[in-house]
Amino acid sequence: MNSSNNGAPQPEGLITPDTPVGHTLTGVKKKAAIQLMGSRLWGRFNPNHWDPVYAAETGLKAPIQTGEMSSAYLAEMCVNHFGRNFFTNARMVCKYIASTEANEVITTHGVVSEKKPKGNGFRFTVDIWTDNEAGEKKTVGWVEVDVGV
Amino acid sequence: MKTDEPQTDSLRPMTDIQIRQTREFVASLNSKSQTYWDMVTVGDELSRDLHITAELVILYADAVEDYNPWYEGWLMNLWHIEGNSPFGPAIVPPLLVSHFVLSVQFDHTKPFAIGSIHTFHDSEILEPIPVGATVRITTRAIDKFVKRERRYVRHAVTVTDTARGTVYFKETRDIMSL
Repeated sequence: MNSSNNGAPQPEGLITPDTPVGHTLTGVKKKAAIQLMGSRLWGRFNPNHWDPVYAAETGLKAPIQTGEMSSAYLAEMCVNHFGRNFFTNARMVCKYIASTEANEVITTHGVVSEKKPKGNGFRFTVDIWTDNEAGEKKTVGWVEVDVGV
Repeated sequence: MKTDEPQTDSLRPMTDIQIRQTREFVASLNSKSQTYWDMVTVGDELSRDLHITAELVILYADAVEDYNPWYEGWLMNLWHIEGNSPFGPAIVPPLLVSHFVLSVQFDHTKPFAIGSIHTFHDSEILEPIPVGATVRITTRAIDKFVKRERRYVRHAVTVTDTARGTVYFKETRDIMSL
C-alpha cells in the first residue's frame, strides 16, 4: 500500500491484466453491530433489523442486517482490488441466501473465476461471497470488471 | 428479573426511558398497511429525484464502516470540501443509489407491510457519480412471481443525472413480499 495515499485504495486497484484466474482477493471483515443496523439510513421502519423483541415475535433468533449492508461490504472489497475500474462499466450480482444476525462477524471473499480479452486488457469475473465465523455463507454472487481495457 | 426472552436492551444498553421510547416507536409502525405484493402492478413506473449531498454520503459510508476518502465531500473542521478521488472530486460509493431504490419502487406515501426482504440484485455500475449530483431514480415493475410458495416482486431500475442525462446505474432487483 502507498503510505501517502491517506488510507485510500490504489487508484488503479491491485488487480492488473496479468492477475491470473484463481487469484484470491483479500476481503474486509465487519461485525453486525446493532447500532449500525438501527441507523436512520436504513429507514428504521422494519424493526426486524434492529429490535430484538420484534424480531423474536416474528420468529427470528436476533435482528438481521439489511442485505444492502452485505452488498456494501462486498463493494468495498471490490474497490480495494479494482480501484477506479469498479466505477465504470462494472456489474455486481448478489443473492442473499441467509440472514446475517446481530453480532455476527462477517468476512467478504472473492476469487477470480474468469478473464476474457477485451480491448487492450481483460474483463474479469470474480466470484464473491460473505460468510460468518462458522463459514456459513450469507450472500453469494459475482462481479465483472474491465481492467486495462 | 432475568429472563431468556429477548429484551429491548438485549443488544445495547438502555435506561427505562429509552426502552419505553423504543417500544412506543415500534408500536407506531404497526399501522394499517399493504404488502408489497398488493401495492404493485406489473408495468407500474415510478420516479423520484435524490440530491446526493455530501452529508448523505457520509451517513451511508459510516453505516457500512467504509472510510475510503474518495467518498468524502464533507469532513469535520473543514466541512464541505471538493474532495479527491481518481475521477477528480469526491464520488459516491458504488452501491449507495441501490439502497435508495427502495424509496422509489413503491408508493412511499403509504405504509407498507414490514417484514418483506430484499433477496437479489443485478447491478450495472456504469459511471462514477459525483458527490452533490442530483439523480433521477426510475423504477418499473417488470414481474411478480411465486417461487417455492414465496411471492416476489421484480423491478428494473435506472439512475440518471437530472442535469446532464448521464446514465449512472442500472439494476434488476427482487423483493420477497409477505
